[in-house]
Amino acid sequence: MEVTIIADVADGSLHPVTAQLVGAASSIGGVPTILCPGGVGASEASSITGVSKVVSVEGACFGAYDVGAWAEALEPLANGELILSSASPSGRELVASIGAMKGIPVMQDVTEVSEGISITRPIYSGKAIEQATVSPPCAISIRANSFDDPGSEGDAEISTVSQSGDIRISVKEALAKASERLDVSEANIVISGGRGMGDPANFEHLYEISEIVGAAVGASRAAVDTWEEISHSMQVGQTGKTVVPSLYIAVGISGAIQHLAGMRTSKYIVAINKDPDAPIFGVADYGIVATWEEALPVLKSELSNLVSN
Amino acid sequence: MTIAVLVKHVPDTTSKISVSNGRVDEASVSKWTISPYDEYALEAALQLKDSGVGSLVAITCGPTRSAKCLTEAAAVGADELIHIIVEEPLDSTQVQALLSAAVSRSEADWVLCGKQAADTNSGSTGPGVARIIGAACVGIVSEVCTEGDDLVATRSTPSGFERVSVQPPCVITFDKGSTELRRPNVRGIMMAKKKEVIVLTPDDLGVSIGSPSVSIDSHSPPPEKPPGQKFEGANSVPTVVGKLRDEANVI
Amino acid sequence: MSDRMAYEALDFYDIDSLLSDEERMIRDMVREWVDDKIIPNIEEACRDGVFPDEWRKDIGEMGILGAPLQGYGCPGLSYVAYGVICQELERGDSGVRSFASVQGSLAMYPIWDFGSEEQKKHYLPRMASGEWIGCFGLTEPDYGSNPGDMITKAEDKGSHFLLNGAKMWITNGTIADLAVVWAKLDGEIRGFIVERGDPGFSAPEMTGKHSLKASVTSELVFQDCEIPKDRILPDVKGLRGPFSCLNNARYGISWGAIGAAQSCFSSAKEYALSRIQFGHPIASFQLVQNKLSWMLREITKGQLLAYHLGKKKDDGSWIPEHISLAKMNNVDIALEIARMARDIHGANGILDEYPVMRHMANLESVKTYEGTHDIHNLILGRHITGIQAFTREA
Repeated sequence: MEVTIIADVADGSLHPVTAQLVGAASSIGGVPTILCPGGVGASEASSITGVSKVVSVEGACFGAYDVGAWAEALEPLANGELILSSASPSGRELVASIGAMKGIPVMQDVTEVSEGISITRPIYSGKAIEQATVSPPCAISIRANSFDDPGSEGDAEISTVSQSGDIRISVKEALAKASERLDVSEANIVISGGRGMGDPANFEHLYEISEIVGAAVGASRAAVDTWEEISHSMQVGQTGKTVVPSLYIAVGISGAIQHLAGMRTSKYIVAINKDPDAPIFGVADYGIVATWEEALPVLKSELSNLVSN
Repeated sequence: MTIAVLVKHVPDTTSKISVSNGRVDEASVSKWTISPYDEYALEAALQLKDSGVGSLVAITCGPTRSAKCLTEAAAVGADELIHIIVEEPLDSTQVQALLSAAVSRSEADWVLCGKQAADTNSGSTGPGVARIIGAACVGIVSEVCTEGDDLVATRSTPSGFERVSVQPPCVITFDKGSTELRRPNVRGIMMAKKKEVIVLTPDDLGVSIGSPSVSIDSHSPPPEKPPGQKFEGANSVPTVVGKLRDEANVI
Repeated sequence: MSDRMAYEALDFYDIDSLLSDEERMIRDMVREWVDDKIIPNIEEACRDGVFPDEWRKDIGEMGILGAPLQGYGCPGLSYVAYGVICQELERGDSGVRSFASVQGSLAMYPIWDFGSEEQKKHYLPRMASGEWIGCFGLTEPDYGSNPGDMITKAEDKGSHFLLNGAKMWITNGTIADLAVVWAKLDGEIRGFIVERGDPGFSAPEMTGKHSLKASVTSELVFQDCEIPKDRILPDVKGLRGPFSCLNNARYGISWGAIGAAQSCFSSAKEYALSRIQFGHPIASFQLVQNKLSWMLREITKGQLLAYHLGKKKDDGSWIPEHISLAKMNNVDIALEIARMARDIHGANGILDEYPVMRHMANLESVKTYEGTHDIHNLILGRHITGIQAFTREA
């Protein structure tokens, strides 16, 4: 099956998810061609195992990101029965635009693909799973980490094509991500400390970790009541905020019923506590019986490794 | 000028979603509402309207029950309401064809919608409609304002934010913004009740939707989470981080 | 988009399906406001003993004050809509519902029904928008259930009226811009509008309450208080005036109490499901289930009473005794549910982390004000037998 992959180059370099897209294509017998918008990452893409061709798509339109212009430049080259992109914001927009240009169906945020073409995707924010069949040609965006990286033993031929697209967006200014601290009720990951942190100064360790993964720092009522440095706005629980992040990490929190009321519906819960009988372990998906002094440095280095890869 | 906002009627994100006979059971949904990102689009559209940009038309596409989200939009200030009524489920291509036709009919200069809907979580509609009506598209926007005839949108990028300017026609898809959403009041609700909803069928729009090119085989509840696992000592942290990535897929 | 988990009100018999779209939208509007503004802040307001001015502004902006009144800038909603508004406000706190009840039913209503055209035009639009707050002075230190013997009196001095006397237990008194005061003029009860700043009028706040702590309760003191002649309500004489106001307020309470009960039920249910004792959630024990099912049973009955009464208010087929029954019953069961919910919460139930003890303390007031539980019994007793039992003198 002829497959076109649109490389994910949204942040100016080839995102590792691109290799996973090759893995997805290979899993259903596809021999993919990778289109590298603006020529970004072409040589790296050519080394992904299983790639047949890499097209370095160049043109003035690839300056700033303009989905309309990019789609116009990429669409004529996006051939075959299946077009794949990553389910990142720009990946979704590109398959949606190219799909609309070609008049073919588009499936977003797919986690499994099999021949047919059958796909699996979460819907309702993961509260249900959809299985669907879509007849090729079609365009699909794939969720990161759903497929294995096939390795980098390839040596695909790279060709360069010049394309143009009508630029309609002009960038006035770039603003750095504000370093202000996220609110617990907004964040997708929350890391909270309790009285077990011993001293409010030790919350600094939680802040360091929160910066690595874009988390918000929360606290139990015990911590908020004990230390005035820990503000009430951080409190998670019955009288604080009710949070439903994808990941909740409770550090030095025993898990009083009032705290559990504010976080137990989090998708995944990690508890770090030195007391193996702490009630927090009753709701944790992953419990680590350890002191925070031992566990947090390891957690910090593991997460930085994960993020930098 | 005309501002169109595309809204979808979806189960409230706090509602429980249950599956019966291989389909999400819509009848068991306790509360329906405007899809949250569409609410941010609506708020931005209302701000544009308030600043004198133009009148606001709210458009939805869906079964009879969806008319309620138009009334909600009218309660906070939408001027015109268009309901493209289709009872059966549609795929993204069909939805885009219908919405595009309705947008063209309303001669909207600016089209605002959420970056994705809370039910399908896809995000194809905005960019797809932009393509079909020949409009520019700016995605994942948290704020807009006018500058002369242009709109300046603040969009998120992998490294932060960008302020970009565009000219009409343009589709803008919204992320959660920092502005507080306005609350309706009794006066708005009473006026909304009296406001006429323009009901259009695909035929009225001259769109032949054909049959969907995607067939839904089944819906199922998410896989059960594995029972809680407990590990001893800080040396288990790498194992847990690995599981968070591979098993839980949350990092 | 609220980040809290949605509050799911107990609605076992799907009363929701009986509401019109408009009533449901108004309900959702108030419910979301209560979620956003009341629930996160109510404990602080109770601790400080204040009714935050922001709440007044919001309630005014929502446009729900004087809900069932028509014209003069009033919302003109159905009585059922007024009921669901009270239910949602009291789900937050009885003090918040009291604020709205007093403004709408006790202060705006008498002006709307018994006021002159000039009075209506002058006061009602500003009261509907929440710009001006009103209060209602009927009860006196020595005359509660027996208001007919009130001693506050008005004298016609030709160019003005002169008021002397005192009123007590007046919700909103200290923060009010105007008071509708009932006083005897030549031995006959009449209504007067007294404005803040009128000479000889003061409204000191009563402190030390263990109940309705986020609601302002005051005395109204009239010492040779002079008011202009055009401040008398021209169209009513006798107890019919204050009693017709009370009918509307009591009707609102019959819904409001359900809101408080729903809040207690919801907290108790969640607590019982998550509290583990003897290795199991306490919700799995029969004694706890018995309590929860009793709560569900009584709330459902109370909802049906309130809803049906609302329909009767809307079609005009009601009698005051219908309202007495609903007020008495619904507050009674709400109070019992609050106590039971406190019990299910165990020691945690006394904490301000849960709403139950606050509702319980509030409902003790609600049981007494706007006609005590016992007085409503006597109203029904008179209706059944034709014999009044309020007083020994026939």
